Amino acid sequence: MLDSFRALLPRLSPKQLIVISGLGAVLGGGAIAPMILLIVLGAMGGTITGPPEQPIAFDHSVHAGKAGIACEFCHRGIPVVENTATALGTPVSAAATIPSVEQCMFCHSVVATDKPEVQKIRAAWETGTPIEWIRVHRLPDHVDFVHDPHIRALAEAHPSFSTAQICATCHGDVASMTEVEQVRALNMGDCQGCHRENSAPLDCAVCHK
Amino acid sequence: MASATDTAELPVVAAAATLPTDDPHPETDGHRWGMVIDADKCTGCQACVVACQSENNLALNEENRVIERRAKTWIRIERYWEGEWPNAKARFLPVLCQHCGNAPCETVCPVWATYHNPDGLNVQVYNRCIGTRFCANACPYSVRYFNFWEPEWPSPMDRQLNPDVTVRTKGIVEKCTFCIHRINRTKRQADRDGRPVADGEVEPACVQACPTTALVFGDLNDSDSKVSELSHSKRAYSLLDSLGTAPAITYLKKVDPSHVGEEEAGH
Repeated sequence: MLDSFRALLPRLSPKQLIVISGLGAVLGGGAIAPMILLIVLGAMGGTITGPPEQPIAFDHSVHAGKAGIACEFCHRGIPVVENTATALGTPVSAAATIPSVEQCMFCHSVVATDKPEVQKIRAAWETGTPIEWIRVHRLPDHVDFVHDPHIRALAEAHPSFSTAQICATCHGDVASMTEVEQVRALNMGDCQGCHRENSAPLDCAVCHK
Repeated sequence: MASATDTAELPVVAAAATLPTDDPHPETDGHRWGMVIDADKCTGCQACVVACQSENNLALNEENRVIERRAKTWIRIERYWEGEWPNAKARFLPVLCQHCGNAPCETVCPVWATYHNPDGLNVQVYNRCIGTRFCANACPYSVRYFNFWEPEWPSPMDRQLNPDVTVRTKGIVEKCTFCIHRINRTKRQADRDGRPVADGEVEPACVQACPTTALVFGDLNDSDSKVSELSHSKRAYSLLDSLGTAPAITYLKKVDPSHVGEEEAGH
């Protein structure tokens, strides 16, 4: 219900939110407070709602940050371009894909087997139950988003970028996140702004399906 | 009493030649997708209809929907009878969105939910559509369909939906897209390989399913493509040509060997 309410509301910047909330507080009254709350919740619209609670407390700052594992080592659906360091990944997948339990066990059959969170993976692997990760980045059904052209365009524009830097353009600095959350609005205005700046196609049919 | 404003020059209004509908095929360096339908090869088997229905997530047309004339088929086979029994002949004509260069549907949409894209496609942006149905009424080919109901599929058919095509909701108009998801996919692949899209590489579901190759799809801007060649055939004509809609679909007239003396009998 909240989602449908959010869709009706404009997305506001934090500054605008403060101004509106401030006005609400000054004008006061119990009637305005819930309204302001709804506006704030609606305007957040998935951008600053914070990270969802995942079934396993997977820490990207350990894996991508401290251990320095490349994004495409686990997210094997990422189409890898030539000027990035590695050559993993399947080139035709539209989605980056969430790694399978087997992919985790690639390392965790020997690494940090005593940690309780790692033992959850082991239990999932032994019983054959998939881990039900909560999806963080999801575009609407009518959007035909494919990673490949975006990654190639970014790699062409910034030849010195590593895969992690390319991914960070939209996904933020995941390597420093304990829990992954969405950092960009990823709505149509966000997409179009970037397409305009980089003279990418603005024809509706390029993204809408 | 003359004031300064009376004598000031009026701004020159730009000539109306910039109207988008004036030139049905403006020069682009891109593609102009088109189709050729050979009525001589069509056997009316309906394979294209079934292929389209499953490719584009069209809900099943139950009997009542057909009786109410609210069935949705982005491509349909029109059947005409010629002559009297016992010498009657069935004639078949597949009719789908003609992707007109001068599309009557595009100018009537109040919210620009339908427009002509640089590749010569008539595009419907579903989530911009507000369901006025002006376009469906303006279309002389009756190939635009309104969603009177939420689409539903009996289990397990709801599990075979095409993820590349969105499921349209109730209250909007939809129509043939020339399988734009296949076009986009092929263009992306060609771009990745650093080569142009080859002739015949893009095949909409109906073209792919046609057992007699009565349907041919390709780029009309490419003079060497099969569609370009076929569209210059002596048998070529457009549906309701007199309306001046400049369709992207060319039909090839039926050859009837029993009609001796006609021009077509020679070849």
